[in-house]
Amino acid sequence: MVNNTSQVNKPAVQSPAATRPAPLLAAGLLLADRGVFGLIWVDDQLTVTGRYGPLVDFVEIGEPVIFSVPPFFGLETDIMALRGARGQLLDLPSVSIMQAPSGSPKLNFTVLWSDDENCYLVLVSRAGSQTNVEVELSRQIRARLIAEAEVTHKSKALAKANNELARANYDLEEFASIISHDLKGPMRALRYMAEDLAQNTSLQAAPNALTQLADIRAQSQRMSEMLTSLLEYSSAGRKEEVAEIVDTAKLAAAIIRSTPRPHGITVHVNGLWPSIETLRAPLDLVLRNLVDNAIKHHDRPEGAVLLRCEDAGDWLRFEIEDDGPGIEPYHHAAVFLPFRRLLQTQTSDGQGMGLAFVKRWVEASGGRIGLTSNAPAQRGTLFWLEWPKMRGR
Amino acid sequence: MTARKVMLLGEIGVGKSSTVQRLVFDRFDFDYKPTIGVDVYRYDIPDVPGRERSSLIVWDTDGNFGDTIFRHVYMKEASAAMIIGDLSRPQTLETMVRLAEGFAEALPGRHVSLLLNKSDLVASPSAVELPDGFARLKITPIMTSAKTGQNVQDCFVRTAEAISRRGQ
Repeated sequence: MVNNTSQVNKPAVQSPAATRPAPLLAAGLLLADRGVFGLIWVDDQLTVTGRYGPLVDFVEIGEPVIFSVPPFFGLETDIMALRGARGQLLDLPSVSIMQAPSGSPKLNFTVLWSDDENCYLVLVSRAGSQTNVEVELSRQIRARLIAEAEVTHKSKALAKANNELARANYDLEEFASIISHDLKGPMRALRYMAEDLAQNTSLQAAPNALTQLADIRAQSQRMSEMLTSLLEYSSAGRKEEVAEIVDTAKLAAAIIRSTPRPHGITVHVNGLWPSIETLRAPLDLVLRNLVDNAIKHHDRPEGAVLLRCEDAGDWLRFEIEDDGPGIEPYHHAAVFLPFRRLLQTQTSDGQGMGLAFVKRWVEASGGRIGLTSNAPAQRGTLFWLEWPKMRGR
Repeated sequence: MTARKVMLLGEIGVGKSSTVQRLVFDRFDFDYKPTIGVDVYRYDIPDVPGRERSSLIVWDTDGNFGDTIFRHVYMKEASAAMIIGDLSRPQTLETMVRLAEGFAEALPGRHVSLLLNKSDLVASPSAVELPDGFARLKITPIMTSAKTGQNVQDCFVRTAEAISRRGQ
């Protein structure tokens, strides 16, 4: 870095030494002897002709300056240009000449041309005293920067993964939607053809044909219903709805009132059911399905279903407990999968999509669902549901 | 004997000092000691019949310089840059691309080598996904480990040879 000395402001008040050469020289010698700075004399061929001060003891007299001061390597042209540029300096700040693994002092080098001495003068001074505190501080700052960079990188990676996941989910839903929609056409056609065939077939001609055609119609009807369910499942939780204040006690009462059940099955409500701000439709659907499930899959003429609600801070915890046959732990995870009907009872006539829908609505609303049951050792199943009071939690 | 100036560039903490310390003093210090300013090393390339005798003046730079290094007097007359990244920290690999492009712009035609350091810390170094910019650089990176010494000397020797071939 080249500076012009003429730009330096002169002090308003000069020290006594500045006006008397002898004390000035003595002060300079003292500082050099104490290793505060050192001087190197370099001739016009860039060979070292002299040095002063222990700070520059490493410099070899009679050798090219770049041998002792490798940082000058590559700067020879710049150094030589100082000769024709009166008053200019070349600064090389904060450089260590590493001759041992333990390190070397950090030095500032300043080069100028002296007309009086007809040579280059290299002023070498200590570039700050890197105390342990300074090094430790620097180390900690860097550690923080590294940690921040890690966090930034991981945040980016997480955002990328989230985007990919969202896209994959979208693609999957799109795929399910297309498949379920498009397959309904040929299934319907198959059913109509089976009906036409049945009308044109006589019982005498093919005794088993009518039975088999009826089976084909039943199966195609079932597949159509499955496709309808799949279509609804793929879109569950995607509708944008507005949160509102929902009185959960009234909601529970309405669900119980409107859910058909045998005379022997009783439904009770316990706990505190507050009013919360949430999406009404998904909560209604979830609770209704769970209550309906508990009644529908009960295997005895008499039984009880108990609904509980508990305030858990930002959440409401609902429990729907029955004294039905229970679910073996081995099947707990599978009950939430689409088209799984583990609870085969006389009334289980659905597609096996009820709990799959429930789970999807719960998760789309930011909630969680699970169950406790220990069949066949114990009867009964308890479905628990943690529902956020505010949407998006 | 000819000497050539080589810059070690890379983000903070990628192992620039450890790499050159392994090269020059054959040692590895587990204690991280930041480089403040610049440390200058001299390394004599081992004599091999048929190879020009040469030395490298290696400038180990403060990672905090970032892109400003290209405007600094330190960079003057550099014959090559060895750009180092930490295989265990992907963002340092992105910095490598930026530094390589910055060096090529500041000193066109000079040799650049890419060192993927800390290969000893990564289970499958070759499986690490490199940023897209690496393809743009058209430079084959070299896996190194300052800790074990893997490929360290080889990288510097190759750099010296490349500089010699280019006559820089």
